[in-house]
Amino acid sequence: MYGGGNVFETIKSVEIADEDPIKLYEFEERIDRGEKIEPRDWMPDLYRKQLIRMIEQHAHSEIIGALPEGTWITRAPGFRRKMALMAKVQDEVGHAQLLYSAAETLGKPREQMIIDLINGKSKYSNIFNYPAFTWADCSFISWLVDAGAIVNQLANAKGSYGPYCRALERICAEESFHLKYGHHCVIHLATGSPIQRKMMQEAVNRWWPPMMHFFGPADKISIHSETLMRWKVKMASNDAMRQQFLDMYVPKIWELGLTIPDPKMKKNEETGKWEYTEPDWEEFKRVINGDGPCNKERLAVRRIAEERGAWVRRALLNKKAEYVQPLA
Amino acid sequence: MESLDPRINRLKSKAEWDEEIQKSAMDQFETYEVFIQIRENRPYEHVGIMHAPNEEMALIFGKEQYSRRYTCTGIFVVRTDHVKITAFSENEENIYEHMDLNGIQDGGESFEIFHLKKRGKQHIHVGKVEAGDYEGALSVSANLYNIGTPVYNVWVVKTSDILSIPPEDKMIWDTLPEKKFRDAMAYKAGDKIKEFKERNQK
Repeated sequence: MYGGGNVFETIKSVEIADEDPIKLYEFEERIDRGEKIEPRDWMPDLYRKQLIRMIEQHAHSEIIGALPEGTWITRAPGFRRKMALMAKVQDEVGHAQLLYSAAETLGKPREQMIIDLINGKSKYSNIFNYPAFTWADCSFISWLVDAGAIVNQLANAKGSYGPYCRALERICAEESFHLKYGHHCVIHLATGSPIQRKMMQEAVNRWWPPMMHFFGPADKISIHSETLMRWKVKMASNDAMRQQFLDMYVPKIWELGLTIPDPKMKKNEETGKWEYTEPDWEEFKRVINGDGPCNKERLAVRRIAEERGAWVRRALLNKKAEYVQPLA
Repeated sequence: MESLDPRINRLKSKAEWDEEIQKSAMDQFETYEVFIQIRENRPYEHVGIMHAPNEEMALIFGKEQYSRRYTCTGIFVVRTDHVKITAFSENEENIYEHMDLNGIQDGGESFEIFHLKKRGKQHIHVGKVEAGDYEGALSVSANLYNIGTPVYNVWVVKTSDILSIPPEDKMIWDTLPEKKFRDAMAYKAGDKIKEFKERNQK
């Protein structure tokens, strides 16, 4: 699972001007023809950098995203839910591995990505900096956070970088179970007893603001973002993905008799667009920069896992082995 | 806020560090390329990589990663630096037509050949050749397997560098039929929503 919301930092346009114009022209021609770019193909530096950043953030989001749900495995109501949630969390960690591998083909070793995550230099989806207090929170994540991730991943799967697209194809196939499972959990609570309904509604109220942040702030229109769209790195604007998510899921939430804590939320039938209260982007910035309710503990848990496993890895290490960039 | 993660709140683990974490580039070992056979009599297809300390572990990790949800009938692993790769061809050109095919064809070593025939897709196993070295294997392959649509890229691997699961252990792929809880199909709830709506209308 993953949110877009990746803020594409502006890299100076000088960098594109430095590229070999003939190679750049051929590269863009290939993308226009719908060809995929492979690890050993020529690519502009900006393309490589942005893809590494994007795929790496996506991989971190899978790992960190498994944490709030993972802690609910032992407390999930009933054996069936426990088994399903365990399988889902296992999938998410598997997705991280696929994504780290795809990013590795661009030249950044996996260990460097993990170091950057733990040292707080690399981002992950902001929504996982919020706590899952109840089983209903966990159900909200399984259904709607995954749904948001699927909107984003289906768009990215049509991108131009071969290894990323192939990883996403596998990931999307597995996510269909997550989505159905999450919906099933929410339906169970929302159509249940008054206490269950209340618990579900409270979870929706807590998670709605971070859900609106999920796809990130409206893109700044710049030459930079146009270039990334043309190179099929970024496949849709943050706003377009948010609209698509609202269109698919708000009716499904309402259908269960749940309310959305935003009195302005409605579809404008003339424009076909959803209208809503502008999310609090100051809060988004504050949390993404480290000051959210769970930022510290998420990274602490990763660091604990790293440090506890280090002696096993040291014992197994082949001293003569050298790092080789994976192939595809 | 008090943490909800049992590793933090119950085990009272350390949660803050003064120094940044350090890791060596090889902390999680070498990479292995993994190939999967989806069904009997289908060719092996490249699916991705695994980090592992040796090929046995690569095989076990690869099985977990690539056949956990969708089963298969076979798996190959090979260390990344044991895969020799040709250049990529451009457009619709066939890479075999751009090679100097003058390696040692005679010799008793066995090689496996993998072709890329669809851009953006994975390399697929086409067969085995006997030759004296990697270039020789490509020459033999050019005569044997260069048929049909263009080949854009070739991987050559010594058969002895591949680890796979022997045929007598095939039952390792028999998955339990009761793992339905991992299928989207197991989560139908349309009736429940319908019943809920009817109840509310009354």
